[in-house]
Amino acid sequence: MPDQSRRQFLKRLALRSDALSSASDKTLVCVFLRGGADTLNMFVPYADDTYYKIRPTISIPHPKSGKGNDSSIKLDDFYSLHPKLAPILPIYKEGRMAVVQAVGTDNPTGSHFETQDQMEHGDAFKKASGGGWLARYLRARFGNNLTPLSAVSIGPMLPESLRGAPGASAISTIDDIRIKAPCENPVVVAQALTALYGSEVGLLSSPGRDTLKLLTRVETLRAAEYKPANGANYPDSNFARGLREVARLIKSDVGLEVACVDLDGWDTHFVQGSVDGQQAALIETLGEGLAAFDADLASRRKQVTTLVITEFGRRTYENGSLGTDHGRGFAAMIIGDGIRGGQVIGHYPGLNEAKWVLGPAGMEVLYDYRSVLSEVLSNKMELRNTQSVFPGFEPQRIGIVKA
Amino acid sequence: MTSELSRREFLAISGLLGCALPLAGCSNLNGFVASRLGGGIPESVAVTNGRDIDPAFHLISRAGFGPWPGDVERIKKKGEKAWIEEQLEPEKIDDGLCDFRAKRFESVFLDPGTCYEFKREALRKDLCRYHLMRSVYSKRQLLESMVEFLSDHFNIYIEKGDCIYLKATDDRSVIRKNALGRFRDLVLASATSPAMLVYLDGKENKKEGPHGIPNENYARELLELHTLGVDGGYTQKDVYEAARCLTGWRLDSGSKRGTAYFDPNLHDDGEKNVLGKKIPAGGGAKDVEALVEIACNHPSTAKYIAKKLVAHFVSEEPPQSLVNRVAKRFSENGGQIKPMLREILYSKEFKESAGSKMKRPFQYVVSCLRATGADTMAGDEVLEYLTRMGHGPFQYPTPDGYPMEANPWLGTLLWRWNFAFALCSNTIEKANVSLDTLCSAIGLEDLENIKKTPEVLFAYMAGRRPNQEESKAFKDYVSRRDFKDEKVRDELIGLILSSPAFQKV
Repeated sequence: MPDQSRRQFLKRLALRSDALSSASDKTLVCVFLRGGADTLNMFVPYADDTYYKIRPTISIPHPKSGKGNDSSIKLDDFYSLHPKLAPILPIYKEGRMAVVQAVGTDNPTGSHFETQDQMEHGDAFKKASGGGWLARYLRARFGNNLTPLSAVSIGPMLPESLRGAPGASAISTIDDIRIKAPCENPVVVAQALTALYGSEVGLLSSPGRDTLKLLTRVETLRAAEYKPANGANYPDSNFARGLREVARLIKSDVGLEVACVDLDGWDTHFVQGSVDGQQAALIETLGEGLAAFDADLASRRKQVTTLVITEFGRRTYENGSLGTDHGRGFAAMIIGDGIRGGQVIGHYPGLNEAKWVLGPAGMEVLYDYRSVLSEVLSNKMELRNTQSVFPGFEPQRIGIVKA
Repeated sequence: MTSELSRREFLAISGLLGCALPLAGCSNLNGFVASRLGGGIPESVAVTNGRDIDPAFHLISRAGFGPWPGDVERIKKKGEKAWIEEQLEPEKIDDGLCDFRAKRFESVFLDPGTCYEFKREALRKDLCRYHLMRSVYSKRQLLESMVEFLSDHFNIYIEKGDCIYLKATDDRSVIRKNALGRFRDLVLASATSPAMLVYLDGKENKKEGPHGIPNENYARELLELHTLGVDGGYTQKDVYEAARCLTGWRLDSGSKRGTAYFDPNLHDDGEKNVLGKKIPAGGGAKDVEALVEIACNHPSTAKYIAKKLVAHFVSEEPPQSLVNRVAKRFSENGGQIKPMLREILYSKEFKESAGSKMKRPFQYVVSCLRATGADTMAGDEVLEYLTRMGHGPFQYPTPDGYPMEANPWLGTLLWRWNFAFALCSNTIEKANVSLDTLCSAIGLEDLENIKKTPEVLFAYMAGRRPNQEESKAFKDYVSRRDFKDEKVRDELIGLILSSPAFQKV
């Protein structure tokens, strides 16, 4: 009996080794800014006087304010960049990064959780399609041909966007992915766990089996120490460390199709700050991380598309606590080859908040977030039919990707 | 101090300490004291061996954090009903041994002002270790389970602002004080709790005027997360009106640093209208009471709290008929928690749900420590495992609290396995197990016995005998290992704790 199961085990190992050769040629990296990022202070409409009027304390100074490094950086005749986003300016100037203004959802609750859930599930308000949008994308494009490292989220928990994705893994670094059993020859333990989880029928069966598969794969990766390319300098933040692990997986060709990385803490109700302070620190973390990631993956530009979104923007005006409350429209960022970069795409709706019937006010939403995701999926990720990911949704053509 | 040892216990412990100190080879005083006072592993532990999970095993696994060696027999002897009723009166349960260990974490008993004299790191460690330690050792298991539930429901993230200095007070005077009391008292205590005033910006909330408008953050979460639930039927206008009621609460920064007070000058004292109910002008500091009363009396609150409690104790897909019955208890008894818990714990739905839930990492770690009868002061290394699994106490940033459902935790299996193996091989600092003692209590004196009957160990840990596939997996495992030394036994127990059966509850 033991012999037979050992044979089966080895056979499974062999199958996995075959699967290792299935490198991805299109990897989607999704960065979620949790808490509702105030993108108005990241891509600043400096030519709109109202902006400075309704944000007397927290606005980012005009590019010509004469405040040196404390001024925003001019992008065009209307928009400027938060100075802490300077590290990504070259990516923008090279035309590899686009910003879409006035993106959002139809969710009127003003709730972080409701809106994040809705977006991660890829739904319209109160219309559940079942599971996460990335999970549906993975299934639509790959069917059952997914491996334990096809979808990875950096952090302790799987995001809702990967709910229902077969074989999605939550990790922090690949170095600590191994079984540390007391006795030598951990294969015996792996065999026992394979048998125990293999006979499970419930919720735990596939996570158990996928974890065991992941272990085998990571074993091969571990052998080599990781050195970022092109002098990419990842700063000391969890966010950058996460991106570094993603870059490592991408360059190891383990078949990574989707990676999710979160950056938390954008819920700036109270003393948000301007060029310095609470939000500026987050913006710096974001900018430095994305710049290092981009440099590290210079050889993989054709392969990698990075998307940066949040659940909602904030009110256009500052509140009595020198912060901003929950709002509506936000600016999404897309980095990759073949996009119409170097510009803020999308009509600027102005800062007038009076038009909402339900829910908190904020910048008007001109582009449903699913239109952005659909365009990325169909034009960058070569998904023919986005209906399988966003059922019943007719995307509006925004023009993020070059036709 | 929350609860003092009885005089008799104190004398007993002092006596023990006197003789314990000179003892060589007794590395841990707490463990020594515990074993002498009956808190260790009993000499003999019966193993339930039915095909289905034993009802007493199920009861303490769901109403608490799983059995300590000997607990299942104790419940059987007392009767399940008597055990539930006893758990519902926690103040009558002697918890001296747990309190004895708890004294080590001095800052959790202090007022906020004194806490400001400590370093953040020291406060964080005291609070998290105290929380974990109580879950492992308290005999008031149902209370601890409710504390876990409520710490999520009224989530406070201790890394935000000054929350770290204030959470211990919140834990004592909001959560633990009212955990089996009235729900309305919980909400009211939480509304003006200094930790909550910081966490959800209540201390910044002031009346609309030339210099600002109310901060709606807490008001929104009060309705969305603490009382009615997101579909509870409130409007954005209700959020705004609730925020008006809550204007004016501030924190002292002087001699009573970190205590809440009401500043009438910052309060909007006009008439409010929340959820269709009028709150007359001039209510001042009483507005919050009126608001909490209105929110808690709203029918959505009874349903929402009932649903969450059933999700906690029974199933993440709460059976509607049970939710309705529990909601009815809430409404009939003015939001008293005990009648709701009785309705749940005595229900058919509860009994029939054995083994159908997945443990969250905190419950997993605590149940491992309890099942092995570990001697732990809940050290940093144990907490690190929890952090790694994304479930460190009071470390959840957003006010919805850690997810209750299984799905977000499915990625944590590897870390659970590694915790189990590390625990069983005694490599976790400040968490010692004596698997010798445990195995002889179960009746598995020598390694040869263990090799022959791994299913007995499994049955002890899982509350039922292994099914055919499980049996085969363990038989195959022992056939591949040479039981020459105890390392293999440690690994086998780690493997049992790693199995799907022990992830479930």
